Amino acid sequence: MTLRERRLGWSLLISGTILLLPQLSAGGKSKNPPSFAQNASEGWGTPSPGDFSVNSSSELTFDRDVAPIIFRSCSSCHRPGEAAPFSLLSYSDVKKHARQIAVMVRTRAMPPWLPEQQETKFADELRLSDSEISRIVTWVEQGAVEGDPADLPPAPKLVEGWRLGEPDLVLKAEKPFILPPQGTDTYWNFIFRVPIQETKWVKAVEIRPGDKRYVHHANILVDRAATSRKRESESGAGFGGMEIRIESQVFDPDSHLLFWKPGTIPYVEPEGMALRLDKGTDLVLNTHLQPSGKDEVIQPSIGLYFTDHPATKIPMLLQLENDLKLNIPPGEKNFLVTDDFTLPVDVDLIAIYPHAHYLGKDMQALAILTDGTQKTLIHIPQWNLNWQAVYRYAAPVLLPKGTTVSLRYTYDNSDENPMNPNHPAMRVKGGNRSSDEMCHLWLQVLPVNFDVAKGDPRMALQEALARHNVEKNPADFEAHYNLGAMLQAKGNLDAALAEYKAAVQLRPEDATGNNALGAALVAGGRPQQAASYLQAALKARPDYFDAHYNLGFALAQQDDFRGAVDHFRTALQLEPQDAAVEANLGAALAEMGHYADAKAHFEHALQLDPNQPIARENLQALQNEKSQQ
Amino acid sequence: MVLGVLCGLASGQRALDLDGHVVDPFAAASGKPVVLVFLRRDCPVSGRYAPVIQEISKRYSDRASFWLVYPDRGDTAQDIRKSVNEYGYQLPALRDPEHALVKLSRVQITPEVAVFDRDRRLIYDGRIDDWYIDLSRARPAPSTHELQDAITAAVARTMVAQREVRGVGCYIADVE
Repeated sequence: MTLRERRLGWSLLISGTILLLPQLSAGGKSKNPPSFAQNASEGWGTPSPGDFSVNSSSELTFDRDVAPIIFRSCSSCHRPGEAAPFSLLSYSDVKKHARQIAVMVRTRAMPPWLPEQQETKFADELRLSDSEISRIVTWVEQGAVEGDPADLPPAPKLVEGWRLGEPDLVLKAEKPFILPPQGTDTYWNFIFRVPIQETKWVKAVEIRPGDKRYVHHANILVDRAATSRKRESESGAGFGGMEIRIESQVFDPDSHLLFWKPGTIPYVEPEGMALRLDKGTDLVLNTHLQPSGKDEVIQPSIGLYFTDHPATKIPMLLQLENDLKLNIPPGEKNFLVTDDFTLPVDVDLIAIYPHAHYLGKDMQALAILTDGTQKTLIHIPQWNLNWQAVYRYAAPVLLPKGTTVSLRYTYDNSDENPMNPNHPAMRVKGGNRSSDEMCHLWLQVLPVNFDVAKGDPRMALQEALARHNVEKNPADFEAHYNLGAMLQAKGNLDAALAEYKAAVQLRPEDATGNNALGAALVAGGRPQQAASYLQAALKARPDYFDAHYNLGFALAQQDDFRGAVDHFRTALQLEPQDAAVEANLGAALAEMGHYADAKAHFEHALQLDPNQPIARENLQALQNEKSQQ
Repeated sequence: MVLGVLCGLASGQRALDLDGHVVDPFAAASGKPVVLVFLRRDCPVSGRYAPVIQEISKRYSDRASFWLVYPDRGDTAQDIRKSVNEYGYQLPALRDPEHALVKLSRVQITPEVAVFDRDRRLIYDGRIDDWYIDLSRARPAPSTHELQDAITAAVARTMVAQREVRGVGCYIADVE
């Protein structure tokens, strides 16, 4: 009777947080725009030298000069039901906030747009031109007159409800989160179980984050192995945390940046670039919430729009990072962290997403081409976590093989950084808590000009990135682990074992590392050696399903069926709907001669999954044996 | 030495309570220092300060008399009542449609406060603390506490370090 292996624990640890904050982008003349309070005490209307006010003798009017700017650049958020705290849809709306608007546009605090102007254009840039700013400021200085209604452009069109029409599938968070009235920013994760029975292709996702006034941004992570559920105190309750981590069992790198910020218009993927959603996939919505002064009920929903066309082009998210270099002494105003990764294949860069926490200051990504020329991919001179965003390019940016993508972030850990979570400043290292720091840059790339015969170019990218990370930080557990997983997926088991061993050496008590090493040894036909690592994994995490499964398998290979049955049973308690465990439990019981018991488990396995091959094969074998007797 | 501006409401300029009655917050203060807290219902910064305002008003309730003041002429008593209930305020609220209290207090922004001593002298007007840096950014926690310092000074009859520190929020002049 054959026992078939299944879950050999190749998991890619994907640290999935996408947090970006934009800030006052110093697009004007001054690198340090005067603070709002200073402006107020100087008087709102006093233009500073070199500022935006125009020398205009004619009187500007709302209807003719200002309304077109407001309607185009402000009203999509400043309207009922949207993120902004008040509406800007009419003269009286704008008049009620005229001085405030003048300050906000003059300092470029609004509309929110962090990157500096650059040659490589972004889609949907929210930046106002200098002349638009001067028009608004001058209009306010002149007394904010209404003008002639005949000049008024048509009111902005307001789309009620779902922006793209009724979605094909609407998911609503099972339980709302009650945002407390007071305190600092809050990060909450909602898990949406996607009720589909077969693979679907998603061409657009609309995130409705709940009351938009209190959600700063939200970000969907695709959890293909339902690993995040373990973090919920009860099913559907969600869980706290700024940065979350998704583990995956197979080579299936994330492909899409599913991001919401105030004003986001749902993005429809180009033909052939739909997102794959399989049965059993969870979507995890990571939200950044800001208290309002009273209790707020936050209950997001997600609308999915399907297409019949499966993906023909599969992009991939590349993550540059250097969190291990984040060890910032107190008082340090300009702590530089870099990461330089050279692309092994040609790619089209589609979108970019820089991310740091509260100490991030100047954040830059460059492409250094093989001829030495440099191209700015993004430059945010004054980071602000509250306005982080995914930036999509107006057209894909070709980065040929050999191009080095260079991340250069600086951090300000002095007391003069008002966003510093620590006063007095203290040493800050990389980590997942909001008081830790981060140095991440996500790139959504689509491999192009590749030779299909040479395999999946995403694998080449992922392997190059994994090797790069090991070289960059030889003491990086995750780098060794991911490289091991990558090599195992490629079928290079010996090299994979070496990386897993390096990982376990760095963290001898890590459950995931020990499980991966154990699983790889089982796959390599060395179950005796595997058992001790799998036991170490279970010591670290007694309810670790994969380790119970793999240890059951390793013991069965050594003919310790009693031990195998124990671990398969525990695995089954942890995941009662897992057909493969049922099948293997049946097989172990059969080996021990408990045929009736074995049959029941095979049958149950087939109820769970009618195509479960081990159960099918073994049940058939049992029946044949019976008929021969 | 002039410690503050002696206050007095010009006739015809009176704040109203939510039942429409003319109220003089100083007469009602029975000799305690008076704190006026200026709010705009459509100002998100005003909203976020609600728990802070309530905490401070509770802590000093026996030493000072607190009033919420809504300067937006467009606000009805009903609008204000609804907002006061939503934020769970336990403080009396006033409408200031003529900006009588605004002028007396010299405030410009919401939320800002004005602190008057027992002799009705304005000893401080401006921000509650330095929580907000600008409209896009707030500190994790404030590092100054101007309102509490001013109340302490009013009670002790001493001077505050700075008589005016402008706040971050929404302009009152925009709703004139």
